[in-house]
Amino acid sequence: MSAKWLIAAILFPIVMGAMVPVFGIKTRKAVRLYTGAVTILTSVFTWVLILTASGEACTLIEFTHVFVFQLQFDGLGRFFAGIVATLWPLTVLYAFEYLKDDPRQHAFFAFFTISFGVTLGITMSGDIFTLYCFYELLTLSTAPLIMHTDTKAAGRAARTYFLFSIGGAAVALLPVLYLTTGADARYSDTVNRVFYVLGFFGFGVKAAVCPLHRWLPKASVAPTPVTALLHAVAVVKSGVFAIIRLTWCSFDPELIAGTFAQLIPLCFIFATILYGSIKSVREPHWKRRLAYSTVSNLSYILFGVLLLTPAGLRGGLLHMAFHAEIKILAFFAAGAVMYVSGREYISELSGLGKRMPVTCACFTCAALALTGIPPFAGFISKWNLLTAAADAGTALAYIGAGAILTSALLTAIYMFTTVRRMYFPEQGAEDTALSEVHEAGWMMWVPMAILAVSTLVTGLFGGKIIDALDGIISGLSRWM
Amino acid sequence: MLYLIGLPLLAAVVGWFMGKRSPAAYYWTALVTVILEFGISVALCFTETRDLMLPGILDLGLHLTMDGFRHIYTVVISFMWMMTMMLSRDYLGFAPSSGPCGATFLQGGKALAEAHHGPHPNTERYFFFTLMTLSATMGVFLSADLFTALVFFEVMSFTSFPWVIQEETEGAIRAANTYLAVAVIGGLAALMGLYLLQHELGTLEIARVYELAAASGKKGLLYTAGACILVGFGAKAGMFPLHIWLPKAHPVAPAPASALLSGVLTKAGVFGLIILAAEVFRDDPVWGTLILSLGVITMLLGAVLALFSTNLKRTLACSSMSQIGFILTGFGTMGLLGRENALAASGALLHMVNHSLFKLVLFMCAGVVFMNTEALELNEIRGFGRKKPLLNARFLLGAAGIGGIPGLSGYISKTLLHEGIVEAAAEYGFLLHCTEWIFLLSGGLTLAYMTKLYVCLFIEKGQFEEKTRYMGPMSIFALCASALIIPVLGLFPNLTMARIANAGRGFFRGEAIEHVLHWFSLENLKGAGISVAVGALVYFLIVRRLMIRDGKYVDLWPKRLDLEERIYRPVLLTILPGAFGWIAAVFGENKLTGWLGKQMLRAGEAVSALFGENVVTARIAQGVFRTGSVLAHAFSDMTDGIVWFLQRTVFKQDDRNFEERINKTIIYKLGESVDRRFAKRGITSKDDHYFAQLFERIRLSIEQGTHQLTDTMSFALLMLCVAICAVLVYIFIIRN
Repeated sequence: MSAKWLIAAILFPIVMGAMVPVFGIKTRKAVRLYTGAVTILTSVFTWVLILTASGEACTLIEFTHVFVFQLQFDGLGRFFAGIVATLWPLTVLYAFEYLKDDPRQHAFFAFFTISFGVTLGITMSGDIFTLYCFYELLTLSTAPLIMHTDTKAAGRAARTYFLFSIGGAAVALLPVLYLTTGADARYSDTVNRVFYVLGFFGFGVKAAVCPLHRWLPKASVAPTPVTALLHAVAVVKSGVFAIIRLTWCSFDPELIAGTFAQLIPLCFIFATILYGSIKSVREPHWKRRLAYSTVSNLSYILFGVLLLTPAGLRGGLLHMAFHAEIKILAFFAAGAVMYVSGREYISELSGLGKRMPVTCACFTCAALALTGIPPFAGFISKWNLLTAAADAGTALAYIGAGAILTSALLTAIYMFTTVRRMYFPEQGAEDTALSEVHEAGWMMWVPMAILAVSTLVTGLFGGKIIDALDGIISGLSRWM
Repeated sequence: MLYLIGLPLLAAVVGWFMGKRSPAAYYWTALVTVILEFGISVALCFTETRDLMLPGILDLGLHLTMDGFRHIYTVVISFMWMMTMMLSRDYLGFAPSSGPCGATFLQGGKALAEAHHGPHPNTERYFFFTLMTLSATMGVFLSADLFTALVFFEVMSFTSFPWVIQEETEGAIRAANTYLAVAVIGGLAALMGLYLLQHELGTLEIARVYELAAASGKKGLLYTAGACILVGFGAKAGMFPLHIWLPKAHPVAPAPASALLSGVLTKAGVFGLIILAAEVFRDDPVWGTLILSLGVITMLLGAVLALFSTNLKRTLACSSMSQIGFILTGFGTMGLLGRENALAASGALLHMVNHSLFKLVLFMCAGVVFMNTEALELNEIRGFGRKKPLLNARFLLGAAGIGGIPGLSGYISKTLLHEGIVEAAAEYGFLLHCTEWIFLLSGGLTLAYMTKLYVCLFIEKGQFEEKTRYMGPMSIFALCASALIIPVLGLFPNLTMARIANAGRGFFRGEAIEHVLHWFSLENLKGAGISVAVGALVYFLIVRRLMIRDGKYVDLWPKRLDLEERIYRPVLLTILPGAFGWIAAVFGENKLTGWLGKQMLRAGEAVSALFGENVVTARIAQGVFRTGSVLAHAFSDMTDGIVWFLQRTVFKQDDRNFEERINKTIIYKLGESVDRRFAKRGITSKDDHYFAQLFERIRLSIEQGTHQLTDTMSFALLMLCVAICAVLVYIFIIRN
């Protein structure tokens, strides 16, 4: 299929989302029908593109001769698009139930659909300038989703999100302009490296690198589908994806390897890995705990990327995919409990295992997978990251491996204290209000069950994904 | 071979759905499954050795294999599962739902048939995880590479967790937490070790590890990897100093599960240690010494703890630990002896098998005691076994077997281990002589604590006098079948034990035993005799003198030496989180610079005090440090500071009231001037400030309409402008 079709996949959800107020779709039934149809069409179409689209670049607009807006669907983009297109319909199904009684659900789903298109735009962009444009658009289209509940806390969270995101994007603009003006050939390597580090921290805001992570835990006030899909997959992974592009497609890994441009980001990454999991252990609020866990896990991926070896990138990409499905599952479970019983804190979960068996079983799967217990998915990606670190063989790589193992231990602590509380409440902690709690509706538990099974299946047959990734990485070419 | 792993897995899932309807159906499914499993594992012994590769699964692929040792252990495992499952019928199936576990009403002669009306709660969970654990344990023992072993090992750790927490009492939860922590930390350590090994050797195939390790130049890395794996598998085996979970988890788990935990799961840990001793560090005296010393400590410590314990199952748990120490001692001597390791290898293997059987019998006896009395403390169960000859005989067989009384199988394996040590002593001298004496002493202690249990249960008089029916036919069968193997093995060692040793030898890389062993020669009997003598001495001197006061057993369990309470828990729960928390605070919340600022201030005060008399220098010093402090604080709040600064400047919410505000805006001034113009021209309106207020109202409506937008977008645009300006400056000034 010609590369021109890429634009259709991006514009279709954006336009359809924007048309919601025009069509005047308001009732629950209409919203569900409309959003469902648009999402499924887009997903199917994206998958068709992933399988059949040609890999050529497709130039859309040229502003002057410097800024070129072009799309290109290479292996890396297809990989990310595959993750997004698979998880989006599941989340939409979940969101139908979650926002069942929300009077403003049409607005929510409009923005949600728009975000889908924008995220696809990020995966399909063919140069750093295009990527940057979609990256900015993503901030704008997701902020209303954070504010959706219209509470004071939500407003504050959205404002923090804006401050951090736009500020970061502003920093990232420097290397983007630097690269698009084609200047890198004329300057010394040191200048190139400085711009790389700037770019890392600029895009690192969405990837939640430690001092810049603050928006992420706060943003967990958003409705759970948003927290799950955007703040565990689309938005944060876009940040990671941009850094991967910056490292592997825009700058040369060989230029960065072994210099301060690798050292500084790696130091922050190690700090983030530990910081995220420690905060997670100390956090009593369930969704915020998962958000801190995301902070830590994103840095696992960045660690793989910044090892600057193909094996490291492979481990990072693998963890990107697996963490997406695991974390979305964990958030779904947390959201289901919140939705059914209004419980938000870990201490309130005592004995829930009997009342909500499917949800709790799914969360247990997520806990096992996130800790990296074989045969669940998280195990292979961690193993790949560790072996990649050992292959790189530098002192930094070993420190990173140590950080990941320490963090894995902490992961076990923060996930299994939750799980244990669900199934084995402390004596005397019997909850009288528990009898009113029941299992969530099918639209919630079906996506969860699918994801829980997939954590096991992708874990068992991860070899296939790894083969595909090897092809993608060897075919990765530099952007002009 | 895949059936061995797949069958229980399938049964667990199928049974789960059946169990929803009736737990009894689940029980029968489980029972049939384990019997089938036993059949398959026996049948496999008569088929050819084969390999099974499952490439692509979990990336690296799984690799299973079969050989002599694995034949033996699959049979042992499935046998133990079968026996414990039979006991479970009485232990769980017939228990009233009210009782915590035991079938109290079996007492007093009530018919077993009456007991059907309420099984123990959570039996489905118990059966489900029992079958899952069976499958995982089989996987561990069948694995042909360390990676596969680790995968199944981790699964086993997690599926056995519900066993420990089954009762859901406070003690059980605490023990289960310990168990889980040890499992997770051990698993991670093993993972780390494997990954170092994989990195160094490029493979984890057990068959190829030895040559590659021998060829590798990096001994240090190998030892590090070995130590990590040792921690991982040693923790499960109950090796000192990672034994902490054993004495806690065994007493709280249901008795059939305790038997399996002690008889099989610890052996899965030992399995990893065998690979280390027999493959990675074959003929390595350094490793041998390490294992030997750990083994000796474990052996002695376990025995001493068992002696002082007054809880039936805890004594047995500590005894397990001590017996694992015996096995480890065997591995240690294997390493020291190098090529002539025949005796030690056979001894260690046979002791593994024996210990599995002993613990099966003993824990099942303990289970019978518990389901009738609901107690495990020696003082409460005194004399339970009087007039119960069946139980008496079975327990005696197990106890005497583990004590190494000639004629029972424990004697054979201990003799071999002993001879191995003697052989090594000829080469290494003094230290090994000490080992030999500790070995004999521990053997004696084993006898002493077993005598303690036996005397307490079956000889001393207690409250249980009347003759009752205390267990069902299936339990009787299970107990008899498992106990009778012990003398059969012990009386015909050449027919049975020697064959087992021969079949399993290959896995240990043991040489064949050259000369024919005279099992019951004077030399060998002497060792047993010394142990018996020591045992009798210890029993009469320590147990009868110290532990029994006023006719009661006094708990001398050394609580203060609890490694978990003293070291692990404080370190893991207080010190580490504290330190990590501090680090996290430094990284995330900029405490470091804040702290620096405080120190600066303090230093400033100290310096100014130093210069106290000279006012000017003191002032200057104070000023310098104070500036430093302010700067440090400024840095500490930088990220917050920027946000704070912007909120106070660009985003400042105007909270003055309307009247105050409108008089100051330019629009208002403009309106006022318009008003004045009109006033000069003589056009008067009702209101002096008509236009001023009109303009202001328009302005306000615009402002409120775009409030949300400006509030957020302005900052974005501002930052964008800043960035663009920076780029322009860069392009036009620096670049040219």
